[in-house]
Amino acid sequence: MNKKRKNTKDSQSLRMVLQELNDNPYRQFKVAFCLTSLIPFLVFFYLLVGRIGTFDVLTGNIGWILGITVFIVVCGFYFGYIIIKKILKRVIFYAIKAKRSDQLKSVFVASVSHELKNPLSIIKMNLFNMLKGLAGEINNEQRRIVELCRNVTDRMSCLVNNLLDLHKIEVGMVEIRRELCDFTNILETQVRELESGIKKKNIKLVKNLVTSNLFMWLDGDKITQVVNNILGNAVKYTPEGGRITLNVTCNQELVRLECADSGSGIPADKTEKIFDKFERIGSLEEGTGLGLAIAKDIVELHKGRIWVESLLGKGSNFIVVLPRNLRRTKKENNAGGQE
Amino acid sequence: MQADKSRKILIIEDEEELAFGLAIFLKSRGYSVVIANDSLHGISLSHKEDVDFVILDLGLPAGGGLFVLENLKRSVDTINIPVVIVTASQDQEAQKKAFKLGIEAYLQKPFEPEDILSYIEKAIGKNNPSF
Repeated sequence: MNKKRKNTKDSQSLRMVLQELNDNPYRQFKVAFCLTSLIPFLVFFYLLVGRIGTFDVLTGNIGWILGITVFIVVCGFYFGYIIIKKILKRVIFYAIKAKRSDQLKSVFVASVSHELKNPLSIIKMNLFNMLKGLAGEINNEQRRIVELCRNVTDRMSCLVNNLLDLHKIEVGMVEIRRELCDFTNILETQVRELESGIKKKNIKLVKNLVTSNLFMWLDGDKITQVVNNILGNAVKYTPEGGRITLNVTCNQELVRLECADSGSGIPADKTEKIFDKFERIGSLEEGTGLGLAIAKDIVELHKGRIWVESLLGKGSNFIVVLPRNLRRTKKENNAGGQE
Repeated sequence: MQADKSRKILIIEDEEELAFGLAIFLKSRGYSVVIANDSLHGISLSHKEDVDFVILDLGLPAGGGLFVLENLKRSVDTINIPVVIVTASQDQEAQKKAFKLGIEAYLQKPFEPEDILSYIEKAIGKNNPSF
C-alpha cells in the first residue's frame, strides 16, 4: 500500500519536473529508440529485396531460423527499452531530489538569516541608544561592556551577511552587473576606508598603481567587496610597524592586483585551503572565515583568478587577475535580457 | 538645535522592540513618532496623522510592506510622503518593485540608525546637532 502511494507521489513529482522541462526526455528517448530499432530491419529488408531478390529464403528451415532471429531481436529491443527507460527514470529522480534539496536549502538559509537579522537589528538599535545615553547616563565600565556587545553584534551581522552572500553565489542567484568602473578609484576608496587601521598599527603602505584611472568592465560593488577583504586581511595580519605593498599592473587584456603584507605568512599546505569556507589563517583571529571564499567566487564570476603566494615568517602576497575588456558573457547577456 | 516637533515620522514595523528603539532615537533628535505594528494600522495612521516621513518594514502582517507602499503611493494624500524601507528580506523582486513605486532608500537589517536619520534629514530638510 505504502509502496503504491510512494509510486504515485513519485509519478506526480516526475510529471511536475517534465512539465518544467521544455523537452520531454521520455518522448525523445522513445523516438530515438524506435528509429534506432528500425536500422537492423531496414538492413534485413535491403539484403532480402536488393541483394537476394527473392522471398524464397523466408520458407523452409532458413525461414524458421530467420523468424526466430527476428523474434530474439525484437525481444532484445523490448528489454533494452525497459532497462534504458528505468535508468532514465532513476537519473530524473536524482535530479528531482537534488533540486528539492537545493530548494529546501534556499528556504532554510533565507528563513534563518531573516530570523537572525530581526533580533540582531533590535539588539543593535537598543545598544546604540544605550551608548548615546538615551536610556540614561552610563559610566565608563558600562560603556565598555555595551561597546563589547555592539562589536559582537556587528560581527554576527557580518557572519549572517556573508553566509547569505555565499549561499546566493552557490545557488547561482548572484548576477554580475558589469559597468565601466575605475579600478584605481575602487582601490583608493578602500585604502581610505582602512586608513585608520593602517595608521593605528603604524603600517607603511606602498602603492604602485599603474595609472591614475584604470577603467574596466566590472561589477563595482562586488569587486569592492573583494578588494576590501584582501586589504582588510593584509591590515589585520600585518604586525605593528609592518609594510603593505599594493601593486597594479595591466596589459591590453588583463589587470593584475598584488597585495603583499609583511605578516607571519601562511603554511604551504594552507595556501589553497585558505579560500575554502570557514578556513582561517590564525584560529585566534576574529572573522567569519568566509571572506576569502566569497572573494574567490566573485573573482571567478568575473572570469578572473585569485591565489596567494606565501612564505612562512615573511608574509603573503594575494594576487587577483581580472579580464579587462570582458563586457558581458553570453550568460550575463541572457540574464540581462530577462530583466 | 532640535528638529521641529511638528515633523512626524511614522514607523510601520511589526518588531515592537525595534520600533521602540528607533522611536527613542528619533524622539531624542526632536521628531515626533507614531508607530504601527501591522499594514492596515500603518495605512490608517498615514491618513489620520499628518505624517512627514515613513519608515516601513516589508515583512508585515495583514498585507505586507509592499501593499502599504502601494497604498501610500496611490493615494493623493500620501503620495508625496518619503518612504525608507528597512527589511531583513533578500527578495530582489520586492526591492525592484519598491524602487519602482518610489522610495528614498532600501536598507537591509541590521541597519545603522544614523543612516536612517540622514535619509530623514535629506528628505524633510532638517539639520540636527550630533551627540
